[in-house]
Amino acid sequence: MLPKNRIFLLIIGSAASLAGIFAILNLDIDSPSTPDDGQRSLMLYCAASNRAVMESIAADYENEFGRKIDIQYGPSQTLLSSMEVTGSGDLFLPADDSYLEMASQKRLIAEELPIAQMQAVVAVKRNNPKSIEQLKDLLRDDVRVVLASPDTAAIGKVVQQTMSGDDQWESITSTATALRTTVNEVANDVTIGAADAGIVYDAVLHTYDDLQYVELPELADAASQISIGVIATTDQPQAALHFARYVSAQDRGLKRYAEFGFRTQRGDVWSDVPELVIFAGSMLRPAIEETIETFEQREGVKVNRVYNGCGILVAQMKAGQHPDAYFACDSEFMNQVQDLFLEPVPVSQNELVILVQKGNPKKIKTLKDLARSDLRVGIGHEKQCAMGWITQNTFREGGIQKEVMSNVTVQSPTGDMLVNQLLAGSLDTAVAYLSNAAGAAESLDAIRIQGIPCSIAIQPWAVAEESKYPELAGRLFQQICSQSSQDTFAAEGFQWQIETSAPTQR
Amino acid sequence: MSAISALFVLLIVLLLVADILFTSFSDFAEALAKPEIQVAFRLTLLTCTAAAILSIWVATPLGYLLSRYRFPGRWFIDTLVDIPIVLPPLVLGLSLLILFHLSIGGWELEAWLRDRVGFPVTYRWPAVVLAQFSVACAFAVRTMRVTFDQIDPRAEDVARTLGCTRAQAFLQIAIPQAWRGMIAATTIAWARALGEFGPILVFAGATRMRTEVLSTTVFLELSIGQLDAAVAVSLLMVAMAVFVLLVLRVLGTGLTA
Repeated sequence: MLPKNRIFLLIIGSAASLAGIFAILNLDIDSPSTPDDGQRSLMLYCAASNRAVMESIAADYENEFGRKIDIQYGPSQTLLSSMEVTGSGDLFLPADDSYLEMASQKRLIAEELPIAQMQAVVAVKRNNPKSIEQLKDLLRDDVRVVLASPDTAAIGKVVQQTMSGDDQWESITSTATALRTTVNEVANDVTIGAADAGIVYDAVLHTYDDLQYVELPELADAASQISIGVIATTDQPQAALHFARYVSAQDRGLKRYAEFGFRTQRGDVWSDVPELVIFAGSMLRPAIEETIETFEQREGVKVNRVYNGCGILVAQMKAGQHPDAYFACDSEFMNQVQDLFLEPVPVSQNELVILVQKGNPKKIKTLKDLARSDLRVGIGHEKQCAMGWITQNTFREGGIQKEVMSNVTVQSPTGDMLVNQLLAGSLDTAVAYLSNAAGAAESLDAIRIQGIPCSIAIQPWAVAEESKYPELAGRLFQQICSQSSQDTFAAEGFQWQIETSAPTQR
Repeated sequence: MSAISALFVLLIVLLLVADILFTSFSDFAEALAKPEIQVAFRLTLLTCTAAAILSIWVATPLGYLLSRYRFPGRWFIDTLVDIPIVLPPLVLGLSLLILFHLSIGGWELEAWLRDRVGFPVTYRWPAVVLAQFSVACAFAVRTMRVTFDQIDPRAEDVARTLGCTRAQAFLQIAIPQAWRGMIAATTIAWARALGEFGPILVFAGATRMRTEVLSTTVFLELSIGQLDAAVAVSLLMVAMAVFVLLVLRVLGTGLTA
């Protein structure tokens, strides 16, 4: 029996202990809201399987920039659920990008930056004591095989998809000892001796000294992509993208990934504030300028825009000035520098129109009317811009080139200049793009050119082969293809060409 | 029948021997020298102790209530307190996460705590304590209820006739009589908190140097194939459990019991 006063001592003592513990816990754990140098930490949800490599990258990053990365580890599906429920966090690095795809469908992810690939291989003990060389070896009675479940592990899905064509999946699952829930469990089984072989990703075995892998031809197509995603609700997108760029930079994070056994692809070259150079035809300026400004703000990068007639831009590129990406007014002016770029993507369409002053005081109705002797006509310069080149083709096609050219008083490298001269009254009419008309709708009218298909220009985008920042340029392109950007294009008189909402520029 | 019981003891011994044989002293020392594991060790000690103390505070009066009083809805409360025991741990973690982030009319508990009170919970050490407490407390309540059920209420009734209030009878008669049960409940709560993993992973997260406890460390080491480190930490947890259990036993009864 405890004396009476001991009860109160016990209560007070436990309360004091509790208070002491809470005080220690509060002091011990540094709080991200009050860092020493004023930089808030970033929160990264990271698949447990990427822990070793990500900790080395986060340490490198903190050394170089002083910003701490708070990494929360777990199974990818658990992390995805946590992101969805809490709406917090800045970055998500799942075991493979099928989880990023799920997250994107739920609109949880704003950007994805590719990092590495993982190849499905067979894990065996060091020196391959069972002499496993091909798929049928896995079906032998003396070989115990474990596989990852397609329902719970990315590699299980990938292998099942690859093998389902010729019933190989049914064969191997019927002889498999077990289906495990994660790829690490498969590798652990082989390590401990619970299995002789297991199908795992090659990179997983980097930390398993006792294991090696065998590549099977049947698994050649079974590979997964690892990417890092920026969470849509992050309240520090610039910082999140800065770190994501660091992770996916070929001379920073990707070096670490390669050290840890991943197969890395070409990434951007690292730069604290990368500068993209974008050449674009001047007619595209109203359609993309705002998108580029928003992109600069969000990414924390600089985009140097060069708007000019495409003939001039082509001449600059041939003279040695190479942009990171080129958005041409017409395919012809992309073809002339095709060797500098990856595959162009046709983005939008713009048509030539006859511009006249409001109310059409000269009563112009068709292309032929431009041959009347009382008109002062302005057109684009044939060599300096796509607009001029297309105009000449249109005139030839319409059979009126000689007559109209005698009326041409101005040949300009950009449609904007023609618009200005028309507004100033020094021209009676001009042949320019519909998008030029859209910008001056209060003062000018546009007359469509009927029945001549070559009066329509297709605008292609391409990333330079030698660009240091192909991924960054690709993300800018994704923004140019966003729905709000498409709306801007439409408002400016362009017709959208790309069917899918966000193609990937590779 | 005793042979079957002996098999269980043998199983436990064999498990420990297998772990010891799997690792080596140098692996053990190397793993325990890592700063992350030392921080996890310290955090685990502190949060388990906090959870155990909170559990005994809640469990003692609640166990007494369930044991001594017959009131409408008693069966309901009795059922409710057992839910954390029955549920898979991940359900509890997910439920805690949803509780703190469910938006009701634009109001959210986590945002309120963070912005108004200045005490964020999710992904911080309070989440670890809360996750451990939620499970540990249920076991402690069960233990305390059984303890009070086994105590003859006669002494309390006599005290009441001699002028004590119910509260005085509880504090001066019932609690001294229940001290063995309180030690047992604290022990169970502490041990259960030590073993907690699922709710912590979901609700507190596994962030190194911040919310990583030793059970999380084992999971993370397994995830990158570091079986040696995982076994070393497991043995550390066994040692912690044995030490704390022995200390509480000595405090309670001495080793002769």
